[in-house]
Amino acid sequence: MEIKELEKFLLSVQKPGRYSGGEINSVIKDKSKIDVRFAFCFPDTYEIGMSHLGMKILYSQFNQRDDIWCERVFAPWLDFEEVMRKNNIPLFALESRDPIKDFDFIGFTLQYEMSYTNMLNMLDLAGVPLRSADRKDLSPLVVAGGPCVCNPEPIADFVDLFFLGEGEEVDLEVIDLYKEYKKAGKSKLEFLIAASKIEGVYVPSLYDVSYNGDGSIKAVTPLHDAPKTIRKRIIKDMDKSYYPESFVVPFIEIVHDRAVQEIFRGCIRGCRFCQAGFIYRPVREKSVDTINRQAKCLCENTGYDEISLSSLSTSDYSGIEPLLNKLLEWTDDNHVSLALPSLRIDNFSDELLDKIKHIRKNGLTFAPEAGTQRLRDVINKNVTEEEILSTCKTAFLGGYTSVKLYFMLGLPTETDEDLKGIADLGQKIVNMYYDMPERPKGKSVSVSISVSTFVPKPFTPFQFEPQITEAEMRRRQEYLKSCITTKKISLSYHDSSTSFLEGAFARGDRRLCGVLENAYKNGCKFDSWTECFDLEKWLDAFEKSGLTAEYFANKEYSYDEILAWDHLDYAVSKNFLINENRKAKEAKTTQNCREKCAGCGASCYGEGVCFEKH
Amino acid sequence: MPDAELAVTGRVFALRNIRIYFAKKGRLKFVSHLDMTRFMARIITKSKISIWYTEGFNQHIYMNFALPLSLGYEGLYEIMDFRLIDDNYSIEDCLESLKKVSPPDIEFLKIRENFAPMKEIAFAEYIMDFETLSDEAALKLSEFLKRESIICSKKGKKGKIREIDIAPKIKSFNIENNSLKLILTAGNENTLNPSLVLDAFFEACEIPQIFYTVKRTMVFNEKLEEFE
Ligand code: SF4
Repeated sequence: MEIKELEKFLLSVQKPGRYSGGEINSVIKDKSKIDVRFAFCFPDTYEIGMSHLGMKILYSQFNQRDDIWCERVFAPWLDFEEVMRKNNIPLFALESRDPIKDFDFIGFTLQYEMSYTNMLNMLDLAGVPLRSADRKDLSPLVVAGGPCVCNPEPIADFVDLFFLGEGEEVDLEVIDLYKEYKKAGKSKLEFLIAASKIEGVYVPSLYDVSYNGDGSIKAVTPLHDAPKTIRKRIIKDMDKSYYPESFVVPFIEIVHDRAVQEIFRGCIRGCRFCQAGFIYRPVREKSVDTINRQAKCLCENTGYDEISLSSLSTSDYSGIEPLLNKLLEWTDDNHVSLALPSLRIDNFSDELLDKIKHIRKNGLTFAPEAGTQRLRDVINKNVTEEEILSTCKTAFLGGYTSVKLYFMLGLPTETDEDLKGIADLGQKIVNMYYDMPERPKGKSVSVSISVSTFVPKPFTPFQFEPQITEAEMRRRQEYLKSCITTKKISLSYHDSSTSFLEGAFARGDRRLCGVLENAYKNGCKFDSWTECFDLEKWLDAFEKSGLTAEYFANKEYSYDEILAWDHLDYAVSKNFLINENRKAKEAKTTQNCREKCAGCGASCYGEGVCFEKH
Repeated sequence: MPDAELAVTGRVFALRNIRIYFAKKGRLKFVSHLDMTRFMARIITKSKISIWYTEGFNQHIYMNFALPLSLGYEGLYEIMDFRLIDDNYSIEDCLESLKKVSPPDIEFLKIRENFAPMKEIAFAEYIMDFETLSDEAALKLSEFLKRESIICSKKGKKGKIREIDIAPKIKSFNIENNSLKLILTAGNENTLNPSLVLDAFFEACEIPQIFYTVKRTMVFNEKLEEFE
């Protein structure tokens, strides 16, 4: 579509900059010289999708190749969707404005379960049949990656092929295979069978799932010689892995509007509720020099005046002090500010502390996740009350007067005592503040407590655990509220209904595909947006399929039961997860990867923290 | 005082006032004025020209735009002032550096070191292209624009609606084929938005809205000379 045609429609919606394209560094190519066109779709708004690092990496990497043109696609907001449907405008890619149904690949990155309906809606807007089985031709191939793909069963009927793990290598291998098969005029099935032999590729249609009478899974049987288990891919050497020299710089303000420099993948800690802590194992770091060089290059090519270091836990980067010193050599002089999310500064030298003290203070936050030491041991969260109190004290002395604490409600083995512990910790911080003679004069303290609901996730030691029921969730919320007796402490909750659905979809199996399609037909979309989420429509969708969300969310799995994702191998062994689950029940902690290897299985790649000399 | 110390205290360098002229076209018309300032800052940073930052706590690139353009309009003669830190850099090199890093929808036209103050801006020329404009509508439009007085309501700063007469602000007009050229007063709080004129027309003559696009093509001084 020509921009002239499109502009008439764009002028009638809010934020036309979401759909106009043409940003700094966006890639335009000559179609006639391209073999493979890839529509990279993020199933949420432009502002959210454009903030996502994974998409930036793959976008630039694909476009490095002369034979591939990768373009961006985001979920149109409600106003523009209406305009599109009314005027028969098919979903198009931002760079060329060509309809994506004519592309070779339509690829989704799935970051959270509540974006699944948007994926279906985008396929429908594109004019592409939702179900893989209804798309007979080789192209467009609908593919997906991202953390949700570690249990892709609830969307298995819609997607032709999943990429497990990190995409930098495997995606291109699949694209090359596709090129070959397209040239040879091979069928979709022939291609999928061949692709399933590539490590890290999961073709769900090549597996047959059967169920027992009680709804549990009886067997997952590979067809056409597909591998029995599919192992995720990782990038072994982070210093040699591809990293973009520039990002597309949006015109309109996005959620994270800055340069982002990845410093390592994985996490050494192993908090038992945290999926990211397990599925990205083992920890692999970039060297200080690589990070410094890449960060500088990014700032120069984007014109961004802020750069943030990205990882699951910045403080665990082994060379954090030398790195910060290196970065600070050029950032200030170039009017670039450094953002250091989740940085613990307890063991920094005074010299470095002095250098970073002008870095914008993001406020004081902690994530103890649980209210008592017992429960923190259960979840293996290595934070003690003394640490929190002493850090708060230092911060108060430095003039801070507010603290934000993050907790989770509904953790395995949680009792009312643990909930009371949350309120008590808040109270202790308040008391400490008023007991300090040196406290900032005339100012009152504020402690804000933010509570989300625990959702058991695949590939964590808690994958076997039931999520508590919605009614119980509400009771515990009320109870916690009643434990707080001072106005100095404020309490906020995440919406528990979405957590409940998230729970069902995180651990669900293929029968949920029908539910998802019903929900989509009921008009569900943008489910992670409170203004769009409608629980009634979802419950109706379950009912129409003869299923309940409770079955999936609140179910406890036995150790020997077949789980929907057992045929996928994310390098952490089931035995390790079972062992961790047992230890959790005994409130026994596990040391982090740098203290002592727990033998999770991720050393199988022969790289990373497992082979560091400590 | 030794030079090094002077440099630390700032202000040893002379600042050069620079004006750049550019066209904002195509997809850039969907970029609001606020987003445009951020965009320009990034282009300037990318180009590595030695730009002057404001001093103080919240340092930022100094930029001053003439006549902010409404979202959805193209501008073929946009003006922005900034300051260079004097380093014997030729302004032509500066223009080239900016051109090199710019996406296709922005076109840097020229750069100058001597220019008139912004307050001398008096008029702006707009071209509005209609999807279709029947002869009958064109005639009505022409008659409408000749009226002695055109009263329309405008939302004031505090959200108050007030009536104003926009006829004196219409300097001249010309209708040709499917397009209307308007020269309207501009600058010094006198800026008249051309869509206000058309809104008034559609309403007064009871003509259903016709889709049109807007381009600002030139900016003039009091004597209707190209503003530089
Ligand atoms: S194998 Fe050991 S060191 Fe490696 S990730 Fe697993 S627990 Fe950590």
